[in-house]
Amino acid sequence: MSSTSTFAARSGIRIPAPALVIPLVAIVASFAVGFALMDVTGSSISDAIAAFAQGAFGSPYAIGTSLNRAIALGLVGLGFILAERANLINVGGEGQIAMGGIFATAVALYGGVAGLPFGLSVLLPVLAGTLAAAAWGALAGLMKIRFGTNEVISTLLLNFIALLLVYWSVQSVHLLRQPATFAGTLPQSLSVPDSTELPLLTGDPSDPIHIGAVVAIILAIITAIVLRRSAFGLKLKAIGLNPLASRRAGIRTNLLTVLVLGLSGAFGGLAGTMMLLGNQDYLTAGFSSGYGFDGLVVGLLSRGSVLGVVAVAIFFGFLRSGGISMQIAAHVPAALVTIVQGIIVVAIAGSAILIDRTSRRA
Amino acid sequence: MNLDTLTVYISSTLHFAVPLMLAASGELVSEAAGVLNLSLEGMMLFAAFFAIWGTSISGDPWVGLLCGISSGLIFSALQAILSVRLRANQLVVGIGLNILALGATTFLNREIFGALSRQLVPGFGLLEIPGLSSLPIIGPSLFHQYYVVYVGVALIAAIWFVLRFTAYGVECHAVGDDPRSADWAGVSVVRVRTIAILVTGAMAGVSGTLISVGDIRTFTENMTNGAGYLAIAAIIFGGWRLWPTVGACLLFGGAMALQFQFSAADSLVPTAALLMLPYVLALLSVAGLVGRQVPPSALTIPFLSSR
Repeated sequence: MSSTSTFAARSGIRIPAPALVIPLVAIVASFAVGFALMDVTGSSISDAIAAFAQGAFGSPYAIGTSLNRAIALGLVGLGFILAERANLINVGGEGQIAMGGIFATAVALYGGVAGLPFGLSVLLPVLAGTLAAAAWGALAGLMKIRFGTNEVISTLLLNFIALLLVYWSVQSVHLLRQPATFAGTLPQSLSVPDSTELPLLTGDPSDPIHIGAVVAIILAIITAIVLRRSAFGLKLKAIGLNPLASRRAGIRTNLLTVLVLGLSGAFGGLAGTMMLLGNQDYLTAGFSSGYGFDGLVVGLLSRGSVLGVVAVAIFFGFLRSGGISMQIAAHVPAALVTIVQGIIVVAIAGSAILIDRTSRRA
Repeated sequence: MNLDTLTVYISSTLHFAVPLMLAASGELVSEAAGVLNLSLEGMMLFAAFFAIWGTSISGDPWVGLLCGISSGLIFSALQAILSVRLRANQLVVGIGLNILALGATTFLNREIFGALSRQLVPGFGLLEIPGLSSLPIIGPSLFHQYYVVYVGVALIAAIWFVLRFTAYGVECHAVGDDPRSADWAGVSVVRVRTIAILVTGAMAGVSGTLISVGDIRTFTENMTNGAGYLAIAAIIFGGWRLWPTVGACLLFGGAMALQFQFSAADSLVPTAALLMLPYVLALLSVAGLVGRQVPPSALTIPFLSSR
């Protein structure tokens, strides 16, 4: 490791801001693979690009939808980098979104909040979902400090359990399933009351971007300040660099581990409540549809930077909208977008060695 | 539960447990050497697809098995290059490869077979072990399996033998517990870890083949559906020892098999609860409720030789 850095210093070789260049190269390369695959399968690339552009940013409606997607992805990503600062990898975004969705739906439908004034009809379901997901995240933290369970494994398993809890909630009429009025009633909840839905920024349904955008931006700014300027942020960083030394220095590492994983979960849950009260309106199995995993990728690619999360989340929001539109309008499988995302993650992970000129030793 | 249902239950437990056992015992070799492959799930999915592909173009499930193993090897080689050679974060690489496997198999399935194709490929033949298969209850469930299942069990035994009695087995544990000392003693950490990951890939290949060709004989999108993660949980449950890991797989398989017992009988227990059971068991196991487990000390830590 040191040999590499001294070599670079001696020879004066300096890669221009590799942290920026390498992700860009990875993105361009993976897009190239995507286009090559389109070409091989005989899809028209120009049709595909046109469909992509139309679906991603072809109309105010498309832009609003893409940005709403970016809000959910960005919140999960912010939660991810908070935990990552303490060297904790929260892979549980999908399950945390699911918990957020379940509890937001439950409170919106059956919590008697629909008639409450001052925006409480929206705030209470959002709060319920966020808290439930925070508990879900904190559970992984408790397992870590109490039993030494690797949080990657526990949050992964909690994902499966939470997704099945959604399935359970919408299958059982004793839980959230809509009353069966006829034999073909779908296994989903009732639609939440209008008063519990997130208000739109413009008030015009042709531009669906909702109040979550403002909330997400405020939270991004707060996260940046907390990570950079606060004692809490510094302590997280200390734990991430050396947990033992941090404990010796008097940092309550156990408490902070549970706290930050809970906080990370809360971000995922908030994303879930916004997906439900902002776009979906009713709970159905699989409503989280991979946003937790995409949000995780957003967090990974941002390399710990809040600005990075915002940029990548917006990029992925447009990517997802465009991918869906490509599938519908140009018959290009949306799986291509998944492939492209996979390549981006793998390429950036593989080139991390170039970015961190110093590498860890065993 | 009468005797016939017991026979069916044991048989369906094995049906779920054997792919898990194969994947988990392969992954155990990597973990012993200090590499955690979250990409196990992707390796299995990748192999499940190519096993179907190979079987469908050749008409022979054994060619499918070869394709499954080869694709598992190729996919695991990616993990090896990234996490051993390039010392990339093993967890991140694993997650990225899983996304890639999901995208690639979904894409290829639609391109080659069509999105809604349920065209069946030829399956493996069954082997009844004479004598044993006529034992009551366990006979028909244990000794009346596809040929490939016996191959898989032999492979697990081979892994046990290699880890326990060969120089490579010793090297694996050395590299997983103290790579620095192993390196100084002249053991190539890169070589040992790369081979270990390839073994994982090959076993995941057999496992994936069983899940597709050895079961419903067609490919469905994301058909492994978390089995790879369960296999990893089984290793933790088993405390990084082979036979307890196999036992954990049997337990998870038994939990999965329950859903058919109950849904057949009555709906007192919600399906969702039964579907959840293996994951809850896995979660309890990784929480150390079956005793605290000690992983190989260098697990997930990249190694750079100083020689």
